[in-house]
Amino acid sequence: MKKLNVLRTAIIAVLLGVVCFAFTAAPERITVKGSDTLVILAQKWAEVYMKTNSGVSIQVTGGGSGVGISALINGATDIANASRKMKNTEKEKLKARYNTLGVEVACAKDGITIYLNAASKVKELSVAQLGKIFRGEITNWKEVGGDDQSIKLYGRENSSGTYVFFQENVVMGDYASSCQTLPGTAAVVNAVKKDTYGIGYGGAAYAEGISICKVKKDDNSPAFAATAETIKTGEYPITRYLYMYLRNRPTGEMKKYIDWILSPEGQKLVVDMGYFPVK
Amino acid sequence: MKKLKVFLFLLVSIIALNLSAQEQSQAEKISELNEKVNGLLERAATSESDLAKLTKIKVSGYIQSQYQNFETPSLLSKSQNYFSLRRVRVKFTYEATDGVKFVLQPDFAPGNLSLKDAYVVVNEHWKKTFSLWAGKFNRPNYEVEYSSSQRELTERSLVIRTLYPGERAIGAKLEYNPLSVPIHFQLAVLNGADGITINNNAGTNLNAADNIDYDNSKDIMARVTYNLPLGSFGGLDFGAHGYFGSLKSMATTTYSSDYSTVTTAKIGDKIGKNWIGGEFQLFADVLGGLSVKGEYIAGKNASIGYASTTAIPLGVANFQNNFAGYYLYLIKNLGKKNQFAFRYDYYDPNTDINGKDVTIKGYAATANLAKKMSSKSDLATSTFGFAFHHYFDDNIRITACYEIVQNEKVGTTAGVSNYTENYTQNDGQVVLKGLDYSKVVPQNVFTLRIQAKF
Repeated sequence: MKKLNVLRTAIIAVLLGVVCFAFTAAPERITVKGSDTLVILAQKWAEVYMKTNSGVSIQVTGGGSGVGISALINGATDIANASRKMKNTEKEKLKARYNTLGVEVACAKDGITIYLNAASKVKELSVAQLGKIFRGEITNWKEVGGDDQSIKLYGRENSSGTYVFFQENVVMGDYASSCQTLPGTAAVVNAVKKDTYGIGYGGAAYAEGISICKVKKDDNSPAFAATAETIKTGEYPITRYLYMYLRNRPTGEMKKYIDWILSPEGQKLVVDMGYFPVK
Repeated sequence: MKKLKVFLFLLVSIIALNLSAQEQSQAEKISELNEKVNGLLERAATSESDLAKLTKIKVSGYIQSQYQNFETPSLLSKSQNYFSLRRVRVKFTYEATDGVKFVLQPDFAPGNLSLKDAYVVVNEHWKKTFSLWAGKFNRPNYEVEYSSSQRELTERSLVIRTLYPGERAIGAKLEYNPLSVPIHFQLAVLNGADGITINNNAGTNLNAADNIDYDNSKDIMARVTYNLPLGSFGGLDFGAHGYFGSLKSMATTTYSSDYSTVTTAKIGDKIGKNWIGGEFQLFADVLGGLSVKGEYIAGKNASIGYASTTAIPLGVANFQNNFAGYYLYLIKNLGKKNQFAFRYDYYDPNTDINGKDVTIKGYAATANLAKKMSSKSDLATSTFGFAFHHYFDDNIRITACYEIVQNEKVGTTAGVSNYTENYTQNDGQVVLKGLDYSKVVPQNVFTLRIQAKF
């Protein structure tokens, strides 16, 4: 082993010390991007928070969980909203780019709701039946107690966290190629509204003007609709947390904003907007 | 009056007939339009289905264009500074079905067109914890698998470049990633001679065929890592890897690492090369994020000689050298757009020979076997590397990197011709004894690189 030159070592140590203690102040303009499921709640949070904190600017956009997390990794957003957990591959990218593992904040709960047309005769389905329907193994409504008509599938794009969560927990395989992908939960609801034989999935907060399908854990279980009570008790089988992801532990205005979201005031807005609180 | 009635009757009949014909025509048109719409919907569904197949193909890649300045004395073949394209890579990934992936990655760098990756990954469907890789892929090692587009210093550390030339190898690999435990296990069976030069007496590389093995024995490589979360502080990833392999002897003698032992070998004997390494990566969420990464590898490497009737043993004898090497990174983010990185890396290709005992030109006329047999390839090298990255946007990274390279110093007692070497200048003039290995030989490198990634 070679002996290091003392002066050179000292210079390198001082240089490294200076660089290590350099940091950037928390921004007063906070950008939020990601999950379309969460976007209406995130916009409401921002709107209400900015009213009482006039010095802070919060900009909220959707695009899907994958888009939000990519933006977080690329430094294009401060907060990524996601309706699924961050994937290991995304964590590795964040590690490589920012040397952190990210900070996960569970900010609300949601029950993935099954949307049916108001005229649909089907009122309940099991998770297994939903899986078969979205894999394309059940293609006619008569197989699940409906009319003798083809099932029209509506879903989200693969950048959506809801798409990923629904695939991993319900579809458990590839979506049927006949499933029409639409660029937002509102578009899924609209499509099902117009199509008597349509079926779609998405956040509970969007379910307006359509019939909500009750869901059974298995064939022998009772069917439940997604309500605050059934989600809290775990009786509704397709529930999930909604997350905010940050690159680093929040400081300054960012910390105040996150703390406010998790406070009773912020969680009241969760309920007001049709989502479910974390506690 | 009667005529008028007949006329009116005829008129009404004509209008009624006309209306009926119009209705019929409209109904036909509606039917025709319906058919057209249905046809279009069918075509749209077909197009959507075709498009869905196309979305399974992902294309990514990056170009690294750079300017480098070398402190090393000029050689005839190369200038001291130049622009070059270091990497020009396009990666095609096709996910045929859930759990089956094909990857193809050529490198289009001028004069160096090569196939970097070509493999298939099959994930088992039941528990989604095992995956099988087959083809040409990165050897299981942290710095090898860490993408060149993300790496904080412009090149990998010397120990990794030496042990895993070209980074990739042809073979098969099994990966185990249980969902409930943050452990990652890799076991690979490789040809084992990828990227290694095995020259015969005429200087022809016997291992030039990239696609097939040099010998019948396969090398085994294993790596296990564990991700330990450290709460809000960050996380610690740590692990170990090992390489267990051999090369086929083409010579009749094998020298030990300190050159003190000469054993008889047969052509075709297995000359073992085995090593193990430990690694860690600490990610700390302090002051905007920093990481410290390191790896230590030690063991026995091998090089293959070639049978000959000539008496000079080096180059014609096999050689097994005990080696050790390590690297240590410190990486710190400076805001969202900038990053600073420092790396110290050290590689001693022969831990059994002290620098003082090395003879630069080799085959010195002395009774001391170490002095007689050793050469500058036994000298250790340490490198201090400093890099500053600016992320211009999502796709562009600009890097300035300076590496201070220092060789192990050679003893001067054996005389000037044993610690110096001649070199040739650009103009062809030979500078006698110009490189003095009893001091640090100038080898520092400055690199200014722009990377465009898509």
